[in-house]
Amino acid sequence: MILVVLENQRGKIHPFSIEAVAAGQKFAEKLNCELSILCFGEKVDELKSQAQSFKANKLILAQHAMIDTYSADGYSKVLSDVISELSPKYVLMGHSYMVRDFLPRVSAKLNIPFVSDIVSVDFNGGPHFSKQVFNAKLATSIEVSAEQSLLSFQSAAFSSDDLKEGGPDTEVQFNVELSDHDIKSQSEPEFQESSSGVDLTAAELIVSIGRGIESEDNLPTMQSLADAMGAEVASSRPVVDMGWLPPYRQVGSSGQVVSPKLYFSLGVSGAIQHVVGMKGSKNILAINKDEDAPIFEIADYAVIGDVLEIVPKLTEELNK
Amino acid sequence: MKIAVLTKAIPSYESSIRVDSSGKWIDEAVVNYVVNESDSYALEEALQIKENVGGDSEVVVVTLGSEANTSKVIKDGLAKGADRGIFIKNESTTTDPLTVAKLFADNLQSENFDLIFSGLQSDDMGSGQTGVLIGELLEMSTATLAIETQVEGDRIKVKRELESGWFQWVSLPFPSSISIQSGINEPRYPSLKGIMGAKRKELNTLEVSPANQSQSFVNLYIPKNEKVTEKIEGDVDSIVVKIMDILKNKLKVIS
Amino acid sequence: MMQFSIVEQIALVVFLLSGISFFLYHLLIRLKIVLKGKSNFSIDELPKRIKRVFDEVILHKKVASGKRKSAGILHALVMYGFIFFGLITINHFGMAFGLPIFSDSIKHTYFLFFGAPWAILCSIGILGLAYRRFVIKPEALGKFSSTSAIVSVFIVTLMVTYLIDEFHILSGTAEKFNWWLHSGVIGGFLFLIPQSKHMHLVLSPFNIFLRPFEVPSHGAIPIDMEASEEELDNLLLDLSRLSKDQALDIFTCVECGRCTDVCPANRGGGILDPKYHFILDLKNPMLESGDVDVVDKINVEAGWECTTCQACTEVCPVGNHVEKADEIRSFQVLAEGDVPQEYQKLLRNLQETGNTEGSSASELLNELPVYTADKELVLWLGCFAKHAMDPNFVSSVRNFVKILESAGVTYGVLSNEQCSGDPANKLGDKLTYQLLMDQNVEELNKVKNVTTMCPHCVVNLQKEYKKYHEIKYEVKHHTQVISELLEEGRISINPGSLEKVTYHDPCNLSRTLDEVSAPRNAIKAAAPEFFELDESGKETLCCGAGGALWWKKDSGEGRTHLLRAEQVIESKADTVVTGCNFCYGMMNQGIGPLTPEGQEEIKVKDVADIVAENLS
Repeated sequence: MILVVLENQRGKIHPFSIEAVAAGQKFAEKLNCELSILCFGEKVDELKSQAQSFKANKLILAQHAMIDTYSADGYSKVLSDVISELSPKYVLMGHSYMVRDFLPRVSAKLNIPFVSDIVSVDFNGGPHFSKQVFNAKLATSIEVSAEQSLLSFQSAAFSSDDLKEGGPDTEVQFNVELSDHDIKSQSEPEFQESSSGVDLTAAELIVSIGRGIESEDNLPTMQSLADAMGAEVASSRPVVDMGWLPPYRQVGSSGQVVSPKLYFSLGVSGAIQHVVGMKGSKNILAINKDEDAPIFEIADYAVIGDVLEIVPKLTEELNK
Repeated sequence: MKIAVLTKAIPSYESSIRVDSSGKWIDEAVVNYVVNESDSYALEEALQIKENVGGDSEVVVVTLGSEANTSKVIKDGLAKGADRGIFIKNESTTTDPLTVAKLFADNLQSENFDLIFSGLQSDDMGSGQTGVLIGELLEMSTATLAIETQVEGDRIKVKRELESGWFQWVSLPFPSSISIQSGINEPRYPSLKGIMGAKRKELNTLEVSPANQSQSFVNLYIPKNEKVTEKIEGDVDSIVVKIMDILKNKLKVIS
Repeated sequence: MMQFSIVEQIALVVFLLSGISFFLYHLLIRLKIVLKGKSNFSIDELPKRIKRVFDEVILHKKVASGKRKSAGILHALVMYGFIFFGLITINHFGMAFGLPIFSDSIKHTYFLFFGAPWAILCSIGILGLAYRRFVIKPEALGKFSSTSAIVSVFIVTLMVTYLIDEFHILSGTAEKFNWWLHSGVIGGFLFLIPQSKHMHLVLSPFNIFLRPFEVPSHGAIPIDMEASEEELDNLLLDLSRLSKDQALDIFTCVECGRCTDVCPANRGGGILDPKYHFILDLKNPMLESGDVDVVDKINVEAGWECTTCQACTEVCPVGNHVEKADEIRSFQVLAEGDVPQEYQKLLRNLQETGNTEGSSASELLNELPVYTADKELVLWLGCFAKHAMDPNFVSSVRNFVKILESAGVTYGVLSNEQCSGDPANKLGDKLTYQLLMDQNVEELNKVKNVTTMCPHCVVNLQKEYKKYHEIKYEVKHHTQVISELLEEGRISINPGSLEKVTYHDPCNLSRTLDEVSAPRNAIKAAAPEFFELDESGKETLCCGAGGALWWKKDSGEGRTHLLRAEQVIESKADTVVTGCNFCYGMMNQGIGPLTPEGQEEIKVKDVADIVAENLS
């Protein structure tokens, strides 16, 4: 049985979890097994209605007051109990910060290997799971020798476009048992340090700014381009670290994960930590002076040129 | 207070990474091994906690790997101020995080560390699991991606980094295993006294042979780039014309 | 003739003796501190030293140079005034005891030819300087100086009382009062000088005499990895101590602020102010502790901003070696383990891969012939060329090779060339420096003649290494080699196009290596329309890459790395030539973004490029 676990991101199903459901549906199809979706933890009710649209054999709801707030202790205990009871062969999740925080606990508790950050699955023989290693210079194909395994997928390994709707065949409640001594940590509410009304994940057009613009003085030029196109402004981490743009503009493994219709990057080199945040974009147009910049490997259109010369003229054309 | 810092030796970013003749691992001979970046931040955090707490606290740098690649990691930790080192010598290539974690847990259990710090992930394999796995195996509380820590008596408060600029404070009882995010502090450079004094510090070597791995590499390969990329070059004006064409006619994002 | 009572004579003696004792006491305190400094004064090449004192003190060559020519001349008037009035002063005091040294007629002659003219000139001098300091108020001179005000008043008073005496304007009590006023001021100087910047009167000729010829002249810090803990502790303690030269410099400083005026870090908006951070901040700590262990009083942040270009040392009129970045950085790195984050990666690269970029491949190393004993010249690449830190420079290396080949010079590269260690040396990481230096010296002592296109490499391989090892090889900068080949007729250059060409002197080449003519010989042969930039030759403005700042320039702070590029753009040259790969890289990076709309971007070339283009 394939068990997909949904993650609650501040009241909505985490986009990675939706991709994991699509993954689960594929697994179920290819391996000819049942698919169950587990909805547990923080305020299950918030996610229920959305979860009820996914096509699956079973939707499992596990509710308990003590897991209304996330804690590694609580979540790992409950998920371990579910896995022990239901014995899924594969447990699927998206590779999010929360999954990094608690899923290894489950792995060690149940002695089940956790293959993390998978980019693709080869169902011929195996199945084998591909991961990027050595800063994505190489890739590896992993096989599991245990009966069960926990799997987490990198963003865009599976696409939510492939998600099949139709709802679960049955819906069950899982009886969660938790006592005080199970949870040793105390968590405070999540907070943001700089708030904004900007939701890059909803943007259709994104103009992304990298270190290649050379100086903070060139920022307004880039912003004019975004304005002329009606696009949101995003950036790589170094630009935020240098204080040129606020953190909520950051795209990447420690920033936002976006999948706009067009991701237009200016002077972004394409380091793996950034790429992970935008490779799901439908179209990627990149400008960079360096023809060996890694961004060109995932770009649909690779413009090799000086962003400081091209952008002003482009903006002029757009404003005509 | 006893703090362990798990430090890994990994190939440097600039090293030439080539698949070796077995097809399952890299050619280590051409690689330059360096300290994993986030582990340096973990060590610095531990040293700062020791300096703040004072008393008879000690920081122990722990590493696991082959003799050839790993010895400098311990020297680096001792030179920066760790009190002693533990070298878990493993000459086989072990990539399964669970197997690695068990080796650490078995050999560190008797030390009864109050805190175990590790970098959020090693930049070679990037699994990011080791610290949490060890925490579970040794019945410790855990947290990941700490961007700030505050020790209060026998508890530690950790500011976790979440996605998209969100954060969360978590309070954990000792013993606790915590993975540290890069940028949490400014790692020190070893002073001359530290470098020369490192030789005189205690170093325990424990030889191990790992059990069978529950997950392993079938092969290692250069990723194929299946993306079809259209290259656009030339003088600035012709580039602008081409981009306008793409935006207007191909992608239809402008009118 | 005035008569002096016994009471007056005793009073005079007591006054003068107390002034002289006061003066000597404070002078001796300072000298005692100076003598506690490290290493010894250099007294090599005596004739050269004496000539230098003559040039700089008597002829005021440094004081009255460049932008400060007029202020310098005014100062000369004051100084000569003091010298000419020496004899008059002795005569003045002699009068009190009925022992004048001049007879009235000689005194009068002296007055006509020297006394009166110099009284007037000296007054003009001091009034001019006072006007500059108190009315124009140049920033470098700092805030209001009470001692300067007093000195101005004193000097004018002396001149006026002297003239009153010569013209016999007063008589009786008024005349006696005038005499005592004159004496009081002279005695007053004895009290004023020792604890103020006016000590330079006494100390600067000596300081200029003793000034080391090598610029910079930081001492070697050899580190023995097998040293005992006690030896290590001594080494670390020593890091906090100044040398005798440096201590004397600090007491000699005349606080003119020229060092700060020329400092590229200061001009680039940084906090570094050499006058205070490298000199004056250390004076009181030395006086308070009675010792020279004051390196830790140097502002650390300022120390990291320094490009070590030596402009401060070059401009100092009283013979100071101003820059102390080496001292504070060595202290921070070796004793404190405090290295800014952006440099830690650089130092680790050097330790682990022997080059600054952490690279394992080199295009040039693969392409160029390997050195064998039958070849004339070792071509030392340096990390910049070897790892293409500016990809365009690779073709400049090829151009130099073209020049060598056209002259029939055989050459080769060393396959195990390690970084010369300049960044480690400049950052104070002497341990990493030694690692690299020891390996390089072993290889280089097997060869005879070395050339390189990087002045930083020349400085280290030739001058710095000599402080630690016996050096058997000789290193020439490539512009020196080209200039020699030109003179010997082994190459000839056709004058090229008539575009306006200028040359940016690399600070390491022009100041540290004292080489300004070789590059010019080569360039002028190729470019008939050559012109000089402002601040050229030994007054050159550092491109901003020195002191290992190349590896910090992307951190986005300050404009130190843009100043020279701006000056080049303002000069409206068509081409700027330079003789250092770092300067080349900085020009390329600065000129593009800084060129205003509509102006054509200036071409950047190395000396090798412009020569190779015009070889016949």
